[in-house]
Formats: sequence, structure tokens, C-alpha cells
Amino acid sequence: MSSTTTMRRVGASKKDYGYSNARVRGMRSRLLKQSFLDGLMQAKDLGGIITSLMETEYAPDLEERLLHGHTAGQIDLALKDNMVRTFRTVLSLVNDESLAMLGALLGRWDLFNIKTVIRGRHMNLSAEEIVDSMIAVAQLTQIDLDELARQQNVKGVVDTLATWKLPFAVPLRAAMPEYIESGNLAVLELALDKYYMEWATKRLKGRGVNQQLAHRFLGTQIDTIDLLTCLRLLNADLGDQDALRFFLPGGMYVTEGLFGDLAGMSDVDEVYDRLKRTPYGRPLEDVAIKYIESGSVSVFERALEDYLMRRAFAAGRGDPLGVGIIISYLWMKSNEVTNLRIIVKGVSVDMPMERMREELIVV
Amino acid sequence: MITNKLAKMVFGSAFVTAMVVPAMALAQGSAPAAAPDYRATIGKAVAAAIAMSVSALSAGYAQAKIGSAGAGTLAERPEAATYIIVLQALPEIIVLLGFVIAFMINAA
Repeated sequence: MSSTTTMRRVGASKKDYGYSNARVRGMRSRLLKQSFLDGLMQAKDLGGIITSLMETEYAPDLEERLLHGHTAGQIDLALKDNMVRTFRTVLSLVNDESLAMLGALLGRWDLFNIKTVIRGRHMNLSAEEIVDSMIAVAQLTQIDLDELARQQNVKGVVDTLATWKLPFAVPLRAAMPEYIESGNLAVLELALDKYYMEWATKRLKGRGVNQQLAHRFLGTQIDTIDLLTCLRLLNADLGDQDALRFFLPGGMYVTEGLFGDLAGMSDVDEVYDRLKRTPYGRPLEDVAIKYIESGSVSVFERALEDYLMRRAFAAGRGDPLGVGIIISYLWMKSNEVTNLRIIVKGVSVDMPMERMREELIVV
Repeated sequence: MITNKLAKMVFGSAFVTAMVVPAMALAQGSAPAAAPDYRATIGKAVAAAIAMSVSALSAGYAQAKIGSAGAGTLAERPEAATYIIVLQALPEIIVLLGFVIAFMINAA
């Protein structure tokens, strides 16, 4: 299995952020502006989008992919290629300290990819369909993901991960007997989530300013996942299952006690009240009317996603010689690619501009 | 935070150079007449050496940091070359100040 640590790294010594942060700030200056995205949304067809994107950083990736056809799918793949290339470039620049921290934070992409493979194998999807849904920006490369997607079943995926001695194989092997017995995929996903959060929290422990920043950011991510679980459990019938089974440790504000309280509530107003003293109270209350209108928990999911993205952007406003700049850029880039993918999909199906704008994340 | 540390180091060393070193030299210079001449000469030489070396080391440290960040900026934005060269040259002033102080000590 290939690994990012084997890449040639041009970044300076253990703790020098000068070079890497200057490069990253240069890259950040080339992120697309909101006016550009507005222009893209006004494009009449995919041709207009391609013409606009050919004047940006995405040109080399588009040129390569468009050889296979001028379709929304190919543009989507080109956008993903660009994101992978950018993430790999940044990881090749950073110093040892930030590489370790980013490895822990970007592990969530590995987690996402492994979950995708397992879901795909569970549903008996084709390898191509699975591969198209993954983004190889962390430790697992595209070759690794292709290999995983080619496995015959879930057990094959877990065994391959164990052969590669990846940490994610540990929880999967432990939960495998229960999965085989029940056929319930949630067992594997929950085991993976818990393992990743504990693993990353452990790796981000430290007294340094940068470690604390990365740790806080991971804690915010865990909080948002826990809160979303609580909100989903509001109207769910758990039967004899304990809600605390779904709790992910390591959050900044959502402790096991608070999680237990929230999961036991029956009304969303009680949740607002309980969260009033945490930073999550305001963003959730802001979408209260939308929730009443739609009745869908996805409104809260979106609000929490936006909050997390704002925290990531804020991380870049602190120390100019710290890891915050890099974390902020990587999340901004991922946000930009997500927004572009939404616009490409929207334009290809003639989605109204207002609807597309609603779908975009923090622009 | 690291920038603050760097600024403190540079200005701290410049302050020490400016205040303490001439005082040392003066102390040496105002020694009793009975004291042998060579002691004052050595004292001046050491003080001048400290003034020069501390300021040079500080400037070197600052230039190393500016250089690495400047190289990163140039890799992404070559049009910023002029600004980077100016920023790279700025810490030379610290060495010049050290040189002037060393010169004044020797001349005292």
C-alpha cells in the first residue's frame, strides 16, 4: 500500500511553517471568488461552464478528462482530480509536525472512502460506481481504493485493510462477527466512526498551540456528528437500545451526559434550550423556521456543516506561522470543489439559479 | 506567536547591543589610571565583537525566516519578487546598527 509519507517532501525542517504557509497562502489567493461562481450559475449549458473553468486552476485536469467526452460526469471527475492533486501538493510541502496533524484530520476522508467501499460491497454495486464516489485525498491513494473496490464482499475489504496493516482494520475485524450475524451495516460504520475519533484525538494531543488548534477543530467535528445523531434520535424508536451506544467521545462541548440528555428529549425546542450555552445553539436556532417548514433533519445537518466550515475558515485567521492556515485552505478547497460540483450538476439538469444558490455551502 | 518571538529576539538583542555593550566599554574605559592599558583595549574589542556578532546573528535568523517564506511566495506568485527582495534586505539594517555601535566602541 502506498503512503503519503513516501512522497518526496520539499517542506523545510520539523517546525518551519514559513515556506509551506507562504505557498499555501499563494494557493489560497487563487481560490475562486463568489462573483465567479455567480457567473458559472448563469451559464446556459456545460459548454459555458467548461469555457469559464478553462481559465482557472482546473484547466489541466479538465483538458485530460474532457478527452473522454464533454459530460457533467467528466467535469465532476476533473474537479475531483484537481482536489486530490491540490491536497497531495499541500501534503508534500508541509513540515513534519503539521503532516502528523493533517494526517489525523484528513483521516476522515479515509474513513469516508472505506465507508463508501463497505456500503458499495454491502449493496453489491459495481467497482466503477464505488470508485466514482470516492476521493483519495488522505493516506489511501486511488490505487488502494481501486483495489478495495474490486473486492468481492465486505469481508474481502476488511481482510485487505488488515493485510495493509491499516488502523481502520482493527475496529472492522472486531465488529465483523456482529455484522455477519445481523447483516446490519450500521454496526461496522459505528465501530469505524468511534475508532477514528479516538485514534485522531490521541494523535492530536499535545500542548503546542498548533496541536490545540487541530484538536479543537477535530472536537468541533465530533460535536457536530454527535448533535446530528441526537437530532435524528428525536423521533426515532430505539426499542431496547441504549442511545449512548451512538455517542462519539472526544467532542469539545457535547459530553456523554449532554448527549444522553439530548437523545432522551422528545421536542426540538428542548434541544434549543439545552444547547443555548454552547456555540451550537445559535446556528441551530437560526434554521428553526426552516425546520418547521420542511420537517427534515437535513436542515440541521446543513446548519452544522456551515458552522464547521466557518470554524475551518476562522482557523486561518490566527497565527500566520501555524497549521491553521493549512487546515483552513484544505477545507476551503474542498468547499470550493463541492460548490463547483453542485453548480455543474445544477446546470446539467437546468436547476433554477436560486435553488443552486441555496445548495451552495458558505460562499 | 512565532513572529512575536522573533520580533522580541531581534529587538531584544538590538537593545542589549545598544545599551549594555557601550556601558561595558565605558566601564572598561573609565577604569583607574593605575590599571594596565591592555585591559581597556581587550574590553573594547570584546564589546565590539559582541555588538557585531549578536546583530549579525539576529539579522541572519530574521533573513532565514524571511527567505524561506519569500521562496514559498515566489513559487506561487512570481510577480511579488520586488517586495520579497526588499523584505529580504530589511534585516541588514540590524547588522549596520551593530557595525555602527562596534565602530563607536572602538573609537571611544
